[in-house]
Amino acid sequence: MSKNGYLQIHDPLKPKGQAVGIDLGTTNSLVAAVVKDQPVCVPVDEGDALFLPSVVHYAKDGGVVVGARARKLASEHPTDTIASVKRFMGRSPDDAETRKLGHYKFAPGAKVVRFDVAGGTPVTPIEVSGEVLRALKRRAEAHFSTKVEQAVITVPAYFDDTQRQATKDAGRLAGLEVLRLLNEPTAAALAYGLDKGSQGTFAVYDLGGGTFDVSILKLVDGVFEVKSTGGDSALGGDDFDRAIAQRVLETLGASEAPAPALVAEVLAASRKAKEALTDAASVEFSAGGQTHSVKREDFDAWVQPFVQKTGTVCRRAMKDAGVTAGELDGVILVGGATRVPAVRRYVAELFGREPLGDIDPDQVVALGAAVLANLLTTADRQDDVLLLDVIPLSLGLETMGGIVEKLIQRNSTIPTTAGQVFTTFKDGQTGLDVHVLQGERELVEDNRSLARFTLSGIPPMAAGMARVEVRFQVDADGILSVSAQEQSTGVSQSITVKPSHGLTDEEIEQMLLDSIDYAEDDIQARQVREQRVDAERVLAEADRQLGEHGSLLQEGERAVIDSAIARVRELMTGEDHLKLKEAVHALDEASRPFIERVMNQAITQVVAGHSVEDY
Amino acid sequence: MRTHFDVFGLKRAYDVDVPALEKQYRELSLQLHPDRVAQASARERLQALEGTTALNEAFKTLKDPVRRAFYLLKLHGIDLDREDAGAQKDMPLAFLEEVMDLRESLDTAMAKKDLGRARAMADDVEARKKAALTEAAESLRTLEAGEPGDGGQEQVRKASHALGRVRYFTRFLEQVDAFEEEIQA
Repeated sequence: MSKNGYLQIHDPLKPKGQAVGIDLGTTNSLVAAVVKDQPVCVPVDEGDALFLPSVVHYAKDGGVVVGARARKLASEHPTDTIASVKRFMGRSPDDAETRKLGHYKFAPGAKVVRFDVAGGTPVTPIEVSGEVLRALKRRAEAHFSTKVEQAVITVPAYFDDTQRQATKDAGRLAGLEVLRLLNEPTAAALAYGLDKGSQGTFAVYDLGGGTFDVSILKLVDGVFEVKSTGGDSALGGDDFDRAIAQRVLETLGASEAPAPALVAEVLAASRKAKEALTDAASVEFSAGGQTHSVKREDFDAWVQPFVQKTGTVCRRAMKDAGVTAGELDGVILVGGATRVPAVRRYVAELFGREPLGDIDPDQVVALGAAVLANLLTTADRQDDVLLLDVIPLSLGLETMGGIVEKLIQRNSTIPTTAGQVFTTFKDGQTGLDVHVLQGERELVEDNRSLARFTLSGIPPMAAGMARVEVRFQVDADGILSVSAQEQSTGVSQSITVKPSHGLTDEEIEQMLLDSIDYAEDDIQARQVREQRVDAERVLAEADRQLGEHGSLLQEGERAVIDSAIARVRELMTGEDHLKLKEAVHALDEASRPFIERVMNQAITQVVAGHSVEDY
Repeated sequence: MRTHFDVFGLKRAYDVDVPALEKQYRELSLQLHPDRVAQASARERLQALEGTTALNEAFKTLKDPVRRAFYLLKLHGIDLDREDAGAQKDMPLAFLEEVMDLRESLDTAMAKKDLGRARAMADDVEARKKAALTEAAESLRTLEAGEPGDGGQEQVRKASHALGRVRYFTRFLEQVDAFEEEIQA
């Protein structure tokens, strides 16, 4: 790819050609546009195929091949040919998703995934997706004989902020202005709604190659209101392939870490077997030099755990939307994996009705995206149609004790905003840590960390006097910005941060230029910094408790705690975050009996009628 | 100050016609939403973002009887969402005892993984929550009608105590839900 000129600046008066909708899928990607008031998919690959396999091959000479041709190169060059890259969007090398059965080589030491491919520099998922988008853009331009510079790109509703940022960045790398990131289920409903002029409440069940989404939508008077959404960004038809592949590899007596070429071959054969089982009761295929046979009932049993996982998500989405299965007016199927008979049976049972399937489940998302792209770029629209979408995951902040305080609940309609006032916890404190998290769990460590920064420059005051307001703003794409402001003295400042894996223009550029070694230093530095912040907090807390409740200390206890404190202070100036962590832990242990006494006393006071907050 | 009621051009009151509110919300969204001005100037788009954000906040607050009650109380000067709110500290002792009892029973049920027991408790708490909300609603109606002689002090205190209970019960129910999901997973 070219390293220059990926940023496009648009002149608002310049005609922008054809606006398109893009379904950037795990397995295949599609482009559609509204032509003569009808959304249609555009041929984008060999033989006028309407879908482009989301596969990118990097050749030794630096050339890049995308689509069916790239897929054919996969078994011969497994590590240089990236498929299902969507699974890696916004992920770090440590994520469980990254470590699933696969055959890629990862460049070590970076905080974002980098594939080690032929042709020199390792590539990030953003760049790989950028290549898929660039190919779609070029082929659509050839088809329409006009420029294509504006697009609506779909994402799974359950994509978190980081994954959304990554998708938007990929669009920018491909030279597209991303008009809107649209949730896939909403796109599907948009494709259905406009065709049929429907009213009512619908569930959209979307099981794609790598992701599962469900949304409950209400369509009234031209307004599509998303009532709730849920999903699993690491569950899809690829898991079905892997279910077959794992059995095949066992039969072949393959080792713990089979050769990448073998894995790629077995996965491809398994995918074909899965597809054949949609119509056939059993299938025979060869892989790894042997013939294998799979019966549909066995396959159904293997995929059952995955299918049932979707049920839990659906029930929660209905509950969040405040509807029961009986109150729905229809169920829309999206995604190739919904062709699997076991899935159809399960959906029919779960919702108590046969799902709708008039529109090709593989095209429906792209068609819906095209409808929105058209709505957003047509100046004088006659039709009053509007989408009101929600955020899929709650957003919150870390508070004392590693607990998450939610500021914006999942399924809030966007755009939205929320604020919370915090205060300082020690005298003369001039900085306040702000840690932004996404997810539903109570403890910080169980949620996704989006950003962490320190608001500095707070005028020194007594503890509890400063008032720092942290505000979240989520825009119509579901992307968050955070600001913090000190209010009490009239001295105010604000900081706007982007999530840690979301990238600014400069960072994208930097990402292309950074060496791997640099990234390793970076991770080390961050861990030291984080551990120091943690140590500071523990020290401040210990000081405070010792000062306020010194009378609760038992004989000899003070000396033990003091020496643990001294050890932490000593290591805080060093660079060894592991040793520092150990020392902090030791301090925790040493002061535990004392802290328990403090807590017990506090509880006794609460019962006497002071506060119910901590219950 | 522009209230959530002003956004919809409504008179401030506890009772709201929710279906009418929903209809109006859709109409206002069609006018204000950023998507309507996607190709316009940055300034217009920012205005649309701010307008829609305010509209969404107002709709979320007014359509839900619990949120609406908390909001009205806030307009009377008591913000129960603030962690340092003094109002939380003067809850009656009887309530604190109720809280301790519930807390203990739920902990026992959770330790035994007894979902049936937890659900039964939730049903009971749901009923208590409803009763507390009804109580708060009565006080808020009286307040909005503007009749009380003492400047509303007594009714504000009543509403605040009732909503303090609603708030605790809501958290309790959330905890049971989380427990249920954990058991089912």
